[in-house]
Formats: sequence, C-alpha cells, structure tokens
Amino acid sequence: MLRVLLAFIIAVVGAALVGSVMQTQFNLAELTALSVSVDMPTRMNTIVHDLLHFGPVFAAMLVPTLIIAFVIAWLLAKRFVRLERWWFIVGGGFGLATAFLIIDSLAPMPTLIAANRTTLGFVLMSATGAFAGWIFDRLWHPQARELNEELPK
Amino acid sequence: MSRPLGIIIAVSLVFLVGILQGAMASTKTTVIAEKLAFPWSMAALPEGGFVVTLRGGQLIYVAPNGSKQPIELSLPDLYATAQAGLFEVLLAPDFASTRELVLSYACGSEAANNTCVVKGNLSAQAPYSVINTQNIFTALPKKAGAAHFGARMAWLADDTLLIALGDGFVHREQAQQLDNHLGKIVRIHRDGSTPDDNPYKHSQASQIFSYGHRNVQGLIYDEQRDAIWQHEHGPKGGDELNKIVAGGNYGWPIATYGIDYTGAKVSPFNQLPGVKAPLYTWTPSLAPAGLALYNGDLLVSHLVGRRLQRFRYSHDSWTLTDEYLSELGQRIRAVYTSPDNEVYVLTDSAEGQLIKVELP
Repeated sequence: MLRVLLAFIIAVVGAALVGSVMQTQFNLAELTALSVSVDMPTRMNTIVHDLLHFGPVFAAMLVPTLIIAFVIAWLLAKRFVRLERWWFIVGGGFGLATAFLIIDSLAPMPTLIAANRTTLGFVLMSATGAFAGWIFDRLWHPQARELNEELPK
Repeated sequence: MSRPLGIIIAVSLVFLVGILQGAMASTKTTVIAEKLAFPWSMAALPEGGFVVTLRGGQLIYVAPNGSKQPIELSLPDLYATAQAGLFEVLLAPDFASTRELVLSYACGSEAANNTCVVKGNLSAQAPYSVINTQNIFTALPKKAGAAHFGARMAWLADDTLLIALGDGFVHREQAQQLDNHLGKIVRIHRDGSTPDDNPYKHSQASQIFSYGHRNVQGLIYDEQRDAIWQHEHGPKGGDELNKIVAGGNYGWPIATYGIDYTGAKVSPFNQLPGVKAPLYTWTPSLAPAGLALYNGDLLVSHLVGRRLQRFRYSHDSWTLTDEYLSELGQRIRAVYTSPDNEVYVLTDSAEGQLIKVELP
C-alpha cells in the first residue's frame, strides 16, 4: 500500500510540475505574440511563480481525477494484463481531459485554465495526465527490464 | 507619565477616534423598492420615480412610493443567462424634451453573442413603454459564452456616447487588437454614427476610444474636471480604477496587477511602457460594479466587497476615504446619483433592493 501511495504522490507531483511549466509557456507565448518582450529572467520568475501558485491548484485537480482514472485502469489491467501500462497512460490522459471539460462546464468562466483555450494546449495539458499514468505504473509495477536498468554512473 | 508621552497619547487618541469615525461613518438607508430580480442599473425620471433594468431582460418603473410597474420593451435578440442580459439604462442629455434613452444588453445566442445598444423613446406617462427602439451599436465579433460584456455607458460633454465592453473572458488577447470591440471602450453618436475625431481612423476600429480593458463595470464623465473615470474587474486581484483618455491602452492582458483564478500569472508585468497605469487597484478583488460622482467624490459599489467606497480627489488621483453599507451584507451592483444629488444603490440578488442612501 505504501508503494501505491508513494507512486501516486510522485505521479501527481510530476504531472503538476510538467503541467505548470507547460501552461506558463502557453501564457507567455500569447504575450510575445502581442510583441511583448519576455526575457529569460522574467520567464524563469514566471515559471517559479506558477509552480508555487498554479502547481498546487493543478495538483488538487489531479488527485481526484487520477484516483478515479487509475481505479478504472487497474480494473481493466486485471482483465487485460499485458496492456497494464497503456491502461494507466490512456486512463490518466482521458481522465484529465474529461475533468477539464467537467470543470469548464461547471465553473462560471468558459475555460478555467487559459492554456486549454487552444486545441494544442488542451491536448498537451491533458497529456500530463497520461504522464502521471506512466509514472504511477512505472513505479508501482515496473517491468522486468525496467528493474534491470542500471542507474547512470 | 511624562508630559511629551501624554501629549503623544492624547494626539494619538484624537487621531484614532477620527479614523474610527471615518471608518464607521454612519449612513441612513431607506429601502425604496424590493423584490427586484438582479437589478443592474437605474435612472431617475424628471417626473419622479425611476427606471430600473433587471438582468433577466425586464425594464421596470419604480414610482416614488416604491410601487413597481413593468415597462413594455421589445428586444427580440436579447440573450439572458449567467452574466448576460439587460444591462444599463441611460437617459439622453435632452431626455426632458425628447424622452430618448439608450439601453445596453447582451444580444445573440449562446454560440454567437456580444453587447448591443439600442436607443428608444419612453412614453410620456405611465403605464410606460419604450417605443421606436433602434439598434445603434453591436459589438463585434459575436462570440460564444456568457461572460464579460462590460456594458456600462456614459455621455460626454459633446453628447457622444461612450460604451464600455468586455473581453468575453476567453478572448483576452483580443483586448490588445484594434480590429474588434472586445475589451474596448467605444465612442459613437446617438444615431450610431462614428465621430470624426475618434483616435483611430481605420475602418475596422474607427469607433474605438480606448483599449486593453478586461470587463469594465463602471464608467462616468466628470464634467467638473472634464475627465472620464472608469473601473474594471481584474481576475484574482488587480481590479482597476482608471482615468480614460482617447487612444489609451489600459494594459489587459499584457500588464495587470491580478493573476488568473488558477494562480497562474496572466502577465509577468504590472506596468509596461505605453500602457496607462491604474490610479488605484483593488487586491484582493472587491469586484467594483458601479461608479457615481457625489459632491466631487467618487462612489464605488462592490459585488464581492459588499460595500460602498468613497474616494476623494487630489493631484489627479483618488484616495479612499470612507466605506459604507457593509452592514447590509449585500452585493451592490450599482450606485447612482440622481440629478437632485441623492444617492441610491441597487443590491444584487434574486430579491434585490433599490435603496436610498444618505451619506454623512
């Protein structure tokens, strides 16, 4: 159980980090498209700000979403064992995409996360759920070859 | 106790009492009318009583004794849901002779809507009706969603009309583009034509007066100072009080003191060259929703802040001096000063009230 919990926490944190940094790039890209110059220190400061402020909010979205998605993936994996890794990857991605759609239909604003306003942004932000699925299953049920991987020296 | 210490304490007490009196400035309130479903704006009629808009799409006459009568009004393309609906009513400067008024509202459908303005004539006596309604402005492009319509309006000294608009929430970058009406304040003649002296001449934006706005919810022309004061909602923090000038860029979304509801930065910049800085910002947001002048001071009503604030003018800026009506615990949609210098507010709920406020 501890292994499951640790794998889940790492999966959520990993997806929150990647998703946060990614949505920052989408927001800054909209500004640079308006001819606003964003230098590297400003970009880094914005990334850090968003990691600290957007990251926890995104993690709070990921937790319930991934619990549901991973339970479904686990049930499917029991039936189709060889596809287990893919069930978690696809489950995480589709689960997060579904969560975005549900949140946007319930929230007063049309799109809660600005990066999700474009199709590319929506797909990539949803893909962080798939990334979480990969991390989770990689840590929970590492494949034989993964266990034999040597640590980099 | 040493003498200097005593003097310091005495002076501090006097100062403290002054602050407390200011902070707790007593107001007398009289409920004129109640059970108004989400009232949005109001105007006093010269013959007595008020016209009040309800966001759901109804125009109401409130008699001086508080009785209510619906005013017949036809807006076939009205779109009323969430933030969308009937917004501002503004009497023409020569209303007493022409009976003309203008109304702003959300027009279109869920898939394609924006802010429209019609002018019409109010019949001479009760039961009132608005006749000869004629569209004089449609904000373009039509977009999906029911958020951020702006819709406050003001007459300038030359009888041209300013119409404040919103960015539609998901189209925030369009507030910086001069080929559309999202996130702009536009200036038109009462017949809908475009004044020759607007700041931008190209045909796509000839009506634009200022840009870079998010969701303007307060707009007033100050005749005494020949100035236009405006406030707009920021996202999470960064509500702004601005002085509007022709051609001004007010920064949204490239410069803002607010952050997104998710905690992400909308922009790393509070200010940028070429962007007009706000005169005052509210962080955390109080959601200012109404603006009026009273004895040379600005009154700002707040939705989330559930209070009325008073600002005093000095050196081309405004200083917060007093707060009122927090004891009501109500979201306050609008504040209005009548031609006879009486102050009224509209509370924002399914059972909203029109309240007369006597300020100290």
